Formats: sequence, C-alpha cells, structure tokens
Amino acid sequence: MRFVVTGLIFPALLAAQHGQAEGAAKAPHDPAAVAAGAKLYATSCSGCHGPDGSGARGPNLFHRLESHSLKDDELFGTIRNGVAGTDMPPTKLSDDDTWKLTAFIRALTGPANESPAPGNPAAGEKIFWGTKAACSDCHAILGRGSRMGPDLSDIGGSRPLGLIREALVPPKDDPSRNYALGGKEGVTVTMKNGTVIKGIARNRSNYSLQVVDTKGELHLIQMTDVKELAILDRSLMPDDYATRLSTEEMRDLLAFLARQSVRAPEVAQ
Amino acid sequence: MRSGPMKTCLSLFLFGVIAVAQVRYEDILKGPGEDWTTYAGNYQGWRYSPLKQITVQNAGSMVPKWAYHVPDANGLRTSPIVYKGVMYVTDSNSLYALDARTGRSIWTYHDSKAKKKGVNRGAAILGDSVYFTTTDNYLVSLDRQTGDLLFSKKFGEVDKGTTSTSAPFAVKDKILVGSAGGDSGMRGFIVALSAKTGDELWRTWTVPAKGEPGSETWSDLHEWGGAGTWLSGTFDPDTNTLFWTTGNPWPDFAGAPRLGNDLYTCSLLALDLDTGKLKWYFQFTPHDTHDWDAQSWPVLVEIPWKDTHGVTAMRKVVLHANRNGFFYVLDRATGEFLRGTQLIDKQTWAKGLDDTGHPVLLPGKDPTPEGNWVCPSIKGGTNWMGQSYNPGTGLLYVLTLEECGMFTTSTQKPVPMKNFAGGGATEPGGQVVLRAIDPKTGKRAWEYPMTGSAKMWTGTVSTAAGVLFSGDDDGHMLALDAKTGRHLWHFNAGDLMTASPITYEVDGKQYVAIAAGTNVFAFGLFEPMQSTPLPKITRGAGSRPAEREP
Repeated sequence: MRFVVTGLIFPALLAAQHGQAEGAAKAPHDPAAVAAGAKLYATSCSGCHGPDGSGARGPNLFHRLESHSLKDDELFGTIRNGVAGTDMPPTKLSDDDTWKLTAFIRALTGPANESPAPGNPAAGEKIFWGTKAACSDCHAILGRGSRMGPDLSDIGGSRPLGLIREALVPPKDDPSRNYALGGKEGVTVTMKNGTVIKGIARNRSNYSLQVVDTKGELHLIQMTDVKELAILDRSLMPDDYATRLSTEEMRDLLAFLARQSVRAPEVAQ
Repeated sequence: MRSGPMKTCLSLFLFGVIAVAQVRYEDILKGPGEDWTTYAGNYQGWRYSPLKQITVQNAGSMVPKWAYHVPDANGLRTSPIVYKGVMYVTDSNSLYALDARTGRSIWTYHDSKAKKKGVNRGAAILGDSVYFTTTDNYLVSLDRQTGDLLFSKKFGEVDKGTTSTSAPFAVKDKILVGSAGGDSGMRGFIVALSAKTGDELWRTWTVPAKGEPGSETWSDLHEWGGAGTWLSGTFDPDTNTLFWTTGNPWPDFAGAPRLGNDLYTCSLLALDLDTGKLKWYFQFTPHDTHDWDAQSWPVLVEIPWKDTHGVTAMRKVVLHANRNGFFYVLDRATGEFLRGTQLIDKQTWAKGLDDTGHPVLLPGKDPTPEGNWVCPSIKGGTNWMGQSYNPGTGLLYVLTLEECGMFTTSTQKPVPMKNFAGGGATEPGGQVVLRAIDPKTGKRAWEYPMTGSAKMWTGTVSTAAGVLFSGDDDGHMLALDAKTGRHLWHFNAGDLMTASPITYEVDGKQYVAIAAGTNVFAFGLFEPMQSTPLPKITRGAGSRPAEREP
C-alpha cells in the first residue's frame, strides 16, 4: 500500500504549490483554497480519515460521499458541527478555513480530472497501451482498445482518484471494490449447438443473457439455447497491479486515467 | 495486435452468434425491413414497414411482449431505432440499448455533465456507431454493440439559447443535426457533422444575418429570431436534397418587434446535402404570431398529378401537414405550391390560401392585450408527431387536433433566453382525430376520433399488411385497419403517450414498439410460452485471461 499513500498525499502537496487562498471562503473549486485545505486536512483530519481519505479509524471519505452525496453547505456543516453520536468532533476552525477544508474534501472526493493528480500522464499513457499493464486488452478510450471491459473514456471525469486506484488495487479488507468501475460477471456460455462464448455479461436473467465477448462483439442469447453457464465469481480485472507495476508506474498510470474525461473539467487546473 | 499473454488468450475465444456488419448508407436507403434504422423508417419520411406478420385478421390477438422502464423518465419522446436485435431509445442526455426480443438492458450511456435537461426524440445509426445529441448540443457517437464512447463533440451554444431535442439524421457520411430553443430566443441552424469525427462540414442558418438575402424580412432581432429545426428532416437520394422544416419566429406572439415575413421561419427548406446550400424554400406562415412551427416533417412521394393542360402524369411532390391547419402539396424539385386544403375543420385565421400558397388573412386574429380567439390553438392542427404514408393504401395518416385558444400579447420587452414569448395562449381542450388523407385529392378517406385530454403527441406507423398503429389521446396503443379506420385492437399503456410507434422483426417475429410515458413497450402476436429450463450453472474463481498462459 506504500505507493497509495505516496500517490494520494501528492495531490495535496501539488495543490499547495498554488499558494494560500486568503479570504477565499466558499470557493470549493478554487485551486488555492484546495491547497490551503490540504494543509488543514493533514493536521486536522488525516489521523482518522487517512492521509489519502481512504479511511482508518474514521470512514473512507470517497466511499462515503459516493453513497451519500453532500452539497457544499452540507459538507461544511458536517465539518463545522461534527457528527453526533460518533467520534467525529466539531471543529473550531474559522469559517474561512472550514471552507478551505470543504474545498479540499470536495477535490478529494470529486471527479479526478478536476484536481491536479501527481505523476506523468504521458508516461502513464504508454503504460496504459503497453503490454505490462495490458489495460487496453480489456478497456477502451475513445474507441481505441478492447470493448469487452468498461469504457474508460470518462473515468477521470466521473470518478475520484481514490476509486480509480481501488479498481487497480482493491483494498484487502473489501475486495468487492474491485467492481467499482462497473464490471459485470465474467461468463463462459456453452450453447446447445456446441458454440462457446466467453466474455462479460452485460445483463443476465433466467430467460436471456447479453454478453460482450473478448472481441467486443455483442451476443444476445436466449437461455433456452444455453446448455451450460460458467460464472466467474470475481472480477476479470487483474488484482496484481501492486506488484506488476512499480510505484512510479502506478502513479503515472493514475495520472493518465485521471485526465480521461468526456467534458473539460469545470475548473481550469 | 500486440504480442503477450492476452494474445494467446484471445485466440482461444472464437465464435459470434450475431453477424457483425456495419450499417451502411445503402442499408438505410433500402428502408425498414427487420430493422428500423432511421427516425422515420426511411429517408422519405414514410414510417411505413413491409412487415406482414401482424395482419388485419390477427391483430386482435396482439399482446405485450415486454416493457422497459426508463429510469427517471417523464413523457418520453423517443422513437426507437432497431438494428440486429438491439433497440436504441433515448431520454434526456441518455441513450439505452435494449435487447429487442426481451427488453433487457444491455448498456446505458448517460452524460451527467450536460448543462441542461430536456426531451430527446431518438437516435441515429451508421457504421458501427449509434448517435444521439445531448440537450446542451453535443453529438455523441457510441459503439453500437458495447456503448463505448467514440466521440462527444459540441455543435451548438447552449449559452446562446440553442438546445437539442431531435434525433440526428444519418445520410451517407454525414450526421445532420437540427437546433431547438426557438421559443425563448435563439438563431436556428441545420449542421452537417462528420460521422467519423463529429467535425463540422457545413452549417446553414435558418435566420439570415444582417445584409444577407432574406434579412430584409426582419425589422430587428435577427440574432434571436428563432426558426428552430427541432425535428429530423427527410432526404431525396435522386437529387441529393435534404428537406427540413423550421419553427416559429421569436418572440412568438409579439409581431411588432419583427415586422416582415421573418424568413426562414415556419418554412420548408430544400438544401443540397453536400454543401447545405439552399435550393428553394416555401414559407407556410409568413410573420407567424401563433407559434405555428412548420415542424411536421416533409413526406416525399410520387403521385399522379394533373397539370395545367389536363394531362395526368406521375409527379414527385412533398406532402406537409402544417400546424397552421392546412395540408400542402409542393413540387419536390422547385417548391412550387400545387395545392392546399384544410387539414382540420376548425380553422378561423385565414380565408384560404392564394394561388401561390400564401394565406389570405382574416382580420382580428393576431394576439392582442385583450386576446383573440383563434382556431387552431397554439398546439396547431397537427404537430411533430410522426405521420405515416402507406403506398399500399395510398393514404397519409395524420394525428390532428380540433382545438381553439385565446392568444394574447404582453407589454414586456422581449429579452432573449428569458423565455419571454411575447404573450400567451390557452389550450382549453379539444378533440384529437386520426385522419387518413388522400394526397391525390387532399380529401379525407376516413377519420378516427379519440377521447382524451388533447395533450397527446403520438404518431403513427403502418405496414404492408394494411395495419395502422398509433396511440390514442387516452393512453391506449391502437391497431386500425389502414384502409377503413376500423378498430382492430387496443392496449391501455396507463400513461399519456408522447412518442411515435415503430415496427421491427427479430427471429422471425414481428414487434410493434412505442415509448409510452415512462416506459417502452413492445407488442406482438400471442403465442404460448415455452418452459425455459435452467441450464447447468457453475460458479467459481475460474481463471482470468491473463492467467491462462502457462
């Protein structure tokens, strides 16, 4: 997990280079406010929520905000007032600092492309299309690559960096996060006529099955035609990237993925 | 392909149940068969299918085959596209690919970053792509099998009042897209984009800029004059001509700030496909003040026509049932007005049409501060709902509305994009009537009045078996005898219908599909269901592709 810590503490440090945001209250997308918020987070929050927001004694922030989205005002209120009945205390920070912290949490838990990510995206691009990581054997970006697995054209525009990282390296205590990119069941379908189809089921019922095979071709199958169905109990996503890639390679790959977005980020970086 | 573990692994996987073939222009040109590959079925705008499994005799035994609930939908406008067993339906900023036999979801694309929400009328298909537009004017190209994004390209400025609601129109190597938003100020256009890249190839503005021909028909407000192009067009392959209709001028009910005919609002435009150059235009409602867009689409047919010397010969014409209450026949090559007849019974704003097709106005019908009672109402004698032309019966089937309304003006100063329409109009209720019109004479062959609230937007589709499908004003899906209008079958879909039906075939079975309110329904002939035994299912950790290589 070492690279994780290195990887995600970095955005805060990078953002910090933008300088302090004096009087930048209520500016959740302002890079300077994010940078100032990062410093506050490191001293006030990381002890419980982890240096990268992935949780420790306190909850994982990008999981929590994925399932319970909060508006900026609500996030501000949670930081200001704490959460009754839990270990989350109220803060004595000023309004201005609380807004800066809100800005940082928003950047940490918002789409990856809206905040600067560490690493070299050009190097990450080579890793993505190369054979060592072999990402494009299953995934495509803007039509290039395999169509079997989830499309990554908007991965940085739709997911926080923390979730993308977890898709590459699932947390040991929660391997289900491996499915965070929307992966479906891997299947091998043996038809009554002897044909065998391998791929990912986009949908499945007792009556019909829709499969995208390894070539990215769609098969619409009636279950009356199926003799045998083998279902992979885990994601087809490899889980050995922590050892397959070096710390630097992982950081660069994340930097590349963070920049994949259908729309330009809402804030200039 | 690269070498490495995956290569070996991929080579282990063969097979394909579905033939992989690109959708070619020639395939769309052929018109519907098993598939339904363009918004109106064929380029001529017929909404007609050669399928014959469902007949006048057996339509009474139709049953629902499946329903798909579109998440968060409200008043779906989409007309499905079907290709090789996959159905594509759209909603606001979303496209859904469904198994057309079962209604099961295959994939969904949603653009959550779109700056606006709004209705969407459908998709287009060409090559390996399926296309739709976002409400904030991006053309989105997706892999038709997997939903993978190929490109998302902006073609219009939502900040200048333009939105997008219509199905893109795929012709040859181009995707043609219209513009919406004319009721709150914008400048309409039709734009041709590259099917491969989304790059702009040409753009034709529907309101001339100052100094351009036609700009003299405006006193002011050129930049916000409207003339939206919010329904797909039709196409004549013989002359490489696009036919596209335009919407109302803005402000809708206030004519004073835009004195003149306001070209090219409420018009039909004939454009060269390669360049977008205007070949001719015909304006149905000059200086409109009742929001009577010319949006009902132009239907391209060839019918026997008696010329001025009394000689009858086949003539290529454009049929157009207009919101202003008249039904027009125009020469397809020149736009010459050939005939205009009343589409509806209640029409009180014009004495008739003159020899050139211009309306002969009756006094006291413009909106005023006190209001004027005018027929048809703002919704018009018909609207954007899909018509069907059936070459077997030779009839055009049009949903019409008999309704009048009070039109008023406001003293507010027009401000673009503030939704100021210059006044208002009432829709007090009326009678929806499905009418079969003989284009050779302009006369009605039959009509089918409906019960309901006069709020529907349902169109029609008809088949070679002589069956006409539509939705009624009360939430029923209908099958009628296309020759006589006799009722054959109905189904209560339980929601107001605001979209047009299509028909298609998969595995030798004919289906009729319609988006009804919040669901997409598919219907077919009843057949007893065969038991589906569960296959042998095994679960396990298995092996990942990359681990297969020894």
